[in-house]
Amino acid sequence: MSDMAKTVLIVDDSALSRMLIRKLILESHPDWQILEAPDGEAALTMAHARSPDLITLDINMPGMGGLDAAVALKQQCPSAKLAVMTANIQDSVRQKVQALGIFFVALVEKPVTREGVDKILFGL
Amino acid sequence: MIVDAVLNPLQQDTLTEFFNIAMGRAAATLSRMVSEEVSLSVPQMRFVRRSEAADLIGATEDRVCSVMQTLRGHFAADAMLIFPETRSLEIVRVMIGDTLPLEDITEMEQEAMTEVGNIILNACIGTLSNLLDGDFTIGLPSFRVGSCSEILNGFRPALDELVLLLHINFSVERYAIQGYVVFLQDVAAFSSFVESIDRFLERAMNGAGAGM
Repeated sequence: MSDMAKTVLIVDDSALSRMLIRKLILESHPDWQILEAPDGEAALTMAHARSPDLITLDINMPGMGGLDAAVALKQQCPSAKLAVMTANIQDSVRQKVQALGIFFVALVEKPVTREGVDKILFGL
Repeated sequence: MIVDAVLNPLQQDTLTEFFNIAMGRAAATLSRMVSEEVSLSVPQMRFVRRSEAADLIGATEDRVCSVMQTLRGHFAADAMLIFPETRSLEIVRVMIGDTLPLEDITEMEQEAMTEVGNIILNACIGTLSNLLDGDFTIGLPSFRVGSCSEILNGFRPALDELVLLLHINFSVERYAIQGYVVFLQDVAAFSSFVESIDRFLERAMNGAGAGM
């Protein structure tokens, strides 16, 4: 993993999940910048202003869902790495995520755990 | 709002997210049973009188069928899977496939619906129980048909107590199946439940990196 400090955008409508993902990332990378967005629209605005290196996305959110947001975010920030972190673990959802072909880590299952976050951070 | 007096915003968010995770597991189970994707709404939570609950979950059907399981122990709640009655046979047909003739399916409709409910509710309750580190006993599933308010009132019109209503809508587009999973929790026995949410938050925030 590169030593350079990175900027991470966490997109999740749950304040709890955002808080836990933030905590687990900062435990291993205290100097990283963490941004949070509660929905897809806010994520697009934030990504436009801050060009994050990594974006984690929940799928079921009010307003723009995580998959639509991911497609728009990838167009806006082509160099950002995207990962899905969701409770919606149906096979069909996994297939949709894989078919989009824009994710660095396809799908990490909630609840948020150290192992799940490490899966995303590994090889970043 | 009453909800703010009982649960602070972080406790509310934690409970809603737990329900979201639990329903994600339950939807994965249902999805395998029907070989189709199950769409989920964003979960909603509020405190209401039991008699108001039916209006709030957005059920517009005249009659619904439900499978209910009662949780006792760490917290007390009624967990329910609710479908429009008119779609019940279709759900069973989709689950069982074309292996049985229609008359046989009709005969076992109630039994099959009860088992479907049992599997889905247990996927949901089991996940909630693990996340809350709770100790529950889960009653046997019971199948009922009635209006949505009769179902949610538990056919006990005399009681109109304050309850915590957690609900999520789901649908299987291909078969035009829609349903609801609803938790109604008695507020009377709420303190031990709030304590378990707080214990979880303390573990998650102060533990050695172990998230939820």
